[in-house]
Amino acid sequence: MPKPKIAIFEFTDCEGCEVELISLKEKILVLEKRVDIVNWRLGQDDNKPGPYDVTIIEGTPITKHEVEMLKKLREESGVLIALGSCASLGGIPGILDKDQRKKWYKKIYGENYKPRGIDALPLTAYVQVDFLIHGCPVNGGELVRILEELLAGKTPKYRGYSVCFECKQAGNDCRLLDKKPCLGPITQGGCQAVCISGGSPCYGCFGLRQEAEIKNLLKVLNKITDKKEIDRYFSMFLNKVNKNG
Amino acid sequence: MDKQFIAKIEGHGTLDIDWKKGSVKLNIHEGERLFEGLLVNRTAEEMHWITPRICGVCPTAHNLASLRAVEDAYDIKVSPTTTLLRDLMNCGQMIQSHALHLFFLSLPDYLGIDRGTELAKKNPKVFMKALSLKDVSDEIVKIVGGRIVHPTRTRIGGFHKVPTKKDLEKLLKKLEKTKKAAQDTVDLVAGIEFPELKVDLQLVALDGDKIIAVSSNNIKGRKESSAKNYKEIIDEELREYSTAKFGKYKGQDMLVGSLARLAVYRNYDDFKYKIDFENPFYNNLAQAIEIDIYHKQAREIVEKLLLLDLKAKIVKPKKDIFFKGIGCIEAPRGGLYHEVHLDKDGIIEEANIITPTVQNLTSIEKSSQALLEQTKNRSQEELERLIIMLVRAYDPCITCSVH
Repeated sequence: MPKPKIAIFEFTDCEGCEVELISLKEKILVLEKRVDIVNWRLGQDDNKPGPYDVTIIEGTPITKHEVEMLKKLREESGVLIALGSCASLGGIPGILDKDQRKKWYKKIYGENYKPRGIDALPLTAYVQVDFLIHGCPVNGGELVRILEELLAGKTPKYRGYSVCFECKQAGNDCRLLDKKPCLGPITQGGCQAVCISGGSPCYGCFGLRQEAEIKNLLKVLNKITDKKEIDRYFSMFLNKVNKNG
Repeated sequence: MDKQFIAKIEGHGTLDIDWKKGSVKLNIHEGERLFEGLLVNRTAEEMHWITPRICGVCPTAHNLASLRAVEDAYDIKVSPTTTLLRDLMNCGQMIQSHALHLFFLSLPDYLGIDRGTELAKKNPKVFMKALSLKDVSDEIVKIVGGRIVHPTRTRIGGFHKVPTKKDLEKLLKKLEKTKKAAQDTVDLVAGIEFPELKVDLQLVALDGDKIIAVSSNNIKGRKESSAKNYKEIIDEELREYSTAKFGKYKGQDMLVGSLARLAVYRNYDDFKYKIDFENPFYNNLAQAIEIDIYHKQAREIVEKLLLLDLKAKIVKPKKDIFFKGIGCIEAPRGGLYHEVHLDKDGIIEEANIITPTVQNLTSIEKSSQALLEQTKNRSQEELERLIIMLVRAYDPCITCSVH
């Protein structure tokens, strides 16, 4: 049986999820033996055109060229996977709304600049995506799990629990009980609560979990802090996903 | 756009070579994320959370630059332990980035292979060394920063959490084990015959709070400026074919990064290793030498830390707050400048960021043109390949340059 043809592309982003992929080191070699990476601009010179069995896309399609390429890749790909929060949610670049961008183009680049970017949106704003690997950056273990399931011909499943589950397993004190804002309860698990374990807040980069109780969380957050801060939490990664719940 | 993006560099660029005129343009296509805009109205504590997302290859450098900017604004002097831990993170960041670039992006050019993982078959010994260096540097950043990409443990005034002595002892063992891999990497790269090239550039590096420049043809004449005046010293201009700005040092083409640092600091064995500072291809050798330098520095810092009481002392802002701060650091690819203006509630009113690659873009074009002029008897195809090798030798991070 021929090995599945894999392509990895990145649109506008920090490429940190691909760095996570490379950091898998030996594990990526094992994976590489089972697939044929026919197109990966960051890793190799020898890149072939589609069609591809599996296409993995990192980053948000922010320019017209990227949007066109995304549509073309959708047509050429059996399975299309979003890698990381920029691709799956719009990510950090999505903090700015489309009209806010206009103001900042002028401030940063001057009046005469012709902007290339349109808006920072997730891949799903333009095409149907088969699976979203969330995270800023993605979690290496999750990445291996999902890729292995795909290679075995299975449809990977989303984690059915929230970050809170893994946060408790990690032995962290609950931020909400300590009167610190946190989006853990509405956020999908899989990250091992790495940010909270490090002392940072959870801003929801793993995307909303199924049946996320946003309204209930807002009730708690409103007791802890003001609307401005709540908005900041909900706009860090989720601005283009679900603003008001 | 029909042209292929240059492979094996961070971000999206294409080359536009005018063979008749002998001119080279580096077109930058990366979409604008407008970080200086999206930081406004966020909190001071969110700055070092957001800016690492400018670049997944040097997130720790952005994290540390933002912390310095905010701490400068708040007049915070962090504890010696915090300084040591942050320096250790930076050592890890340098090795992570250089090892990734050397083994996976640049070395394949010199070894005649397509991709870094081909080394596993062709030269398994070198490949294992590459992996061990990547592994130990990832470990440093993870133990201190909390994660390989995008730190979670750092905060204004110190750390949320610090590593345990047990973590550090384990790390020291790993560092001892990989010491030889770092030294062997220098010898491996020193054995490469680099393509010939001679360019007159300003090599620029930060030394404490000073920006130091030396000429590539005379590294002894040092020109010093205060980093506080970075905006006047590094001017940025717009080019219609690029979403990144192009930087210059007081109007002259500049080069920043490993090669510039070695020229400014002269902290390597210049008897053993002959570096041609007029030839940017030698940036690859400089990176290898720096892997060894930062590996040694990491060991020394861990040894010092093991003698200290590792409590995370968080320094709070002073009462006489300046509200404007500048944080600069030598990132793997060169001087990185973050500036922040805060209001009395700690909300960001203004932010400015100059990245290393912005400072290198102008000279990448100049060096490419020099390469065209100085290389004789080669086909267009060979010349184009050579120029791409040169672009890679600079280790540009286009992702950073368009932030």
